Amino acid sequence: MAILTPLEDALAGVADAARALAGRERVRLAVTGLSRAGKTVFLTSLVANLLAAGAGVNTLPALAAASGHRLRGARLVPPGVESTPRFDAAAHLEALAADPPRWPARTEDLSTLEIALDLAPASLLGQARGWVAGERRVTLELLDYPGEWLLDLPMLDQSYADWSRETLARLRQGRRAAAAADFLDFVDALPAAARDDEALARQGFRLYRAALLRCRDDLGFRFLQPGRALNPGPRGEAPLLWFFPLPGGAGGDLGRLLARRHAAYLADQRSAFFEPFFRRFRRQAVLVDALGALHAGEEAFDDTAAALAAIAASLRRGGGWLNLLTGQGVQHVGFAATKADHVPEPSRDSLVGLLRDLVGRDTAAAGGATTSVHAIAALRCTQDDVARVEGRDVAAVRGVLLEGGRSARIYPGEVPIRRPGRDFWQHGEFRMPVFRPPRLKGDGMAGMPHLGLDRMLAAVIGDLL
Amino acid sequence: MSETPRGPRILTDDAPAPRLDFGWDVTVAPVAVTPPAGRRGWSAPALAAAGVAVLLLGLSAIDVGGYVADQFTRAPWLGWLTLGVAVAGYGLILAAMLRELRGLAGLGTVERGRAAVARGDFAAARAALLDWAGRLPAAQPMLPALRKAPDLPTLLALLEAGPLAALDRQAVAAGRAAALQSLAATAIVPSPALDGLFIAWRGLRLVREVAVIHGLRPGLLGTLKLLRRTLFEAGAVAAADVAINAAVTAVTTNPLVASVVGDAASGAVAARRMLLLARATARACRIVEPR
Ligand SMILES: Nc1nc2c(ncn2[C@@H]2O[C@H](COP(=O)(O)OP(=O)(O)OP(=O)(O)O)[C@@H](O)[C@H]2O)c(=O)[nH]1
Ligand SMILES: [Mg+2]
Repeated sequence: MAILTPLEDALAGVADAARALAGRERVRLAVTGLSRAGKTVFLTSLVANLLAAGAGVNTLPALAAASGHRLRGARLVPPGVESTPRFDAAAHLEALAADPPRWPARTEDLSTLEIALDLAPASLLGQARGWVAGERRVTLELLDYPGEWLLDLPMLDQSYADWSRETLARLRQGRRAAAAADFLDFVDALPAAARDDEALARQGFRLYRAALLRCRDDLGFRFLQPGRALNPGPRGEAPLLWFFPLPGGAGGDLGRLLARRHAAYLADQRSAFFEPFFRRFRRQAVLVDALGALHAGEEAFDDTAAALAAIAASLRRGGGWLNLLTGQGVQHVGFAATKADHVPEPSRDSLVGLLRDLVGRDTAAAGGATTSVHAIAALRCTQDDVARVEGRDVAAVRGVLLEGGRSARIYPGEVPIRRPGRDFWQHGEFRMPVFRPPRLKGDGMAGMPHLGLDRMLAAVIGDLL
Repeated sequence: MSETPRGPRILTDDAPAPRLDFGWDVTVAPVAVTPPAGRRGWSAPALAAAGVAVLLLGLSAIDVGGYVADQFTRAPWLGWLTLGVAVAGYGLILAAMLRELRGLAGLGTVERGRAAVARGDFAAARAALLDWAGRLPAAQPMLPALRKAPDLPTLLALLEAGPLAALDRQAVAAGRAAALQSLAATAIVPSPALDGLFIAWRGLRLVREVAVIHGLRPGLLGTLKLLRRTLFEAGAVAAADVAINAAVTAVTTNPLVASVVGDAASGAVAARRMLLLARATARACRIVEPR
């Protein structure tokens, strides 16, 4: 890390304080979530519902109550001269409302958006300041990105040799070994002192990427690195991507070439993604598709937990004592199990319990930050229902399937309140079908139907308003 | 084994169905009365300040009262004279306070109007806009039409077409006059420091002029508020420069201050700044935010 960063952080802290005094706070809300966790839908719903709430519509009652009904208006900060694409919440909402509706595609690039919230003063002193400086305004900075890239974060603190060892060890376990058989055969057959032949490097990378894609798409694994091998982003594939783990680490000519690319890749991700967008955030929303992980089987479940733990650990390391010193640490972290509309009401409490267990080690150790755990559906697509299964009435959900537009009742199974034992997974994997979004107003004037989004926002940003 | 069946499953695959409808628009529709804003209690500093004000005014009033009574014991005419002086003095103080309050109330109307327009709340916007138009000579001919406007877009269109366009023109004219004066002043005044002082003073006067054009009579607090709003809102660049003036350029170029008030443009000439300031103030005073 550059020598200047602590100084910059301290300066940023002073600037934050100055802005707060002037009633012009800027707060970065970091939304972290693995791929398909629901980040894009969450951000779309957050923006639509905040804008609607600013127009006086009661879309976020718990947030309104937590903030003492002080929200006077909300609007998107008009584009300036940013070089990052803009997160197009309106287009996402329109696509969800259209007939036939479309869910957002996999995110392939960074995009940012700022939303300005005008607030009534909280006290007479605040009112006096309001006379002088105008209404209090909080600007919320939001970022959307491909979830795969988040897993480059733990790589930042590892040497190529360490990364190779850990990645190969993971890849040799259980079902991953079968999916990566071709790649493993290839690297195991390479002599330790292989020459830095480009043909070898390319073939190795091709096999490695094919293994990663199989792990992600067929098996539901998430702890797959590097992120841009799976999702190269708008700049496409570049030579710095063409590396893969080698059993011998950086020994040998080929190892040295791959280690150079590994270092260049990390430097690129650090300067283009992590440094500008993942530093100095005060609020964090951690989105986890806990149900998806549960349904993908035991190994995939543990893999998701490991990925989350690794990300949380490197976020903490990145902050550490410096944050404490400069007052820049994360203040509130909200963990949320997304797509809670996939289970009926009685199971949602268990879902919260399951998520708490899944991220348990992090909630306890998130140094100084207050944490809360929620079950949310950013866009509610189902209704609660009952069904008869094996001669017994059980709580189920009913929704309209995206494919074919037919109504279906889904019994999502029992949701355990902590990581279940082996026999839970006896019945095999299950893929939750994709639901059709409910009837929506495409103009966003009424926000979006959600479950629990307001309670989560109240915990994460409620004190700002 | 547990009681409930474990494996998840898709149970029924019925006939094609329309999309679900939760009646969300209806459930979230705004309630008629919005709850009042938060705690309205007095904070400790506000209490203390009010206490000091009461002590100053009250004790001095008691003191003066005693003095008036003393004077009456000396001679009735002396007593009446002293009483007259005291009443006139306190009356002026009271008038000043009332004017401050009126100025702030005027700004409050503008804020309420803007908020109501932003919310799309026709009833509240209509009330605030009519209240404002009633006090503005330029808007008198249009009042009957305004009262009959059936919806918010019509009301806004009428205002934009009539009174607001006239006010914008007047504000620009005021800005032009100020610009000419400061041009002349910078040519005549010998020292750059005095120069800056003149421009700061002229800028302040311009802000008040434009406020008056828009039907506001800001007192001291009101002007301060308006000035700060002009700083923060439109044209922050130029406005910051005029108001803070050349003597504190060092402060404004400090990155921290710049991050709050916006960077001060260095090459802009005073006249151009006056024009910009007029426009910025007009934006801050306008009861309907310009689109
Ligand atoms: N029923 C339901 N499904 C949801 C909800 N949120 C997300 N989904 C589903 O999850 C899928 C992925 O959501 P996204 O928001 O695109 O996920 P993401 O985290 O942005 O994924 P990447 O862009 O690949 O990192 C969507 O296409 C939906 O099918 C929800 O609130 N309810
Ligand atoms: Mg996405």
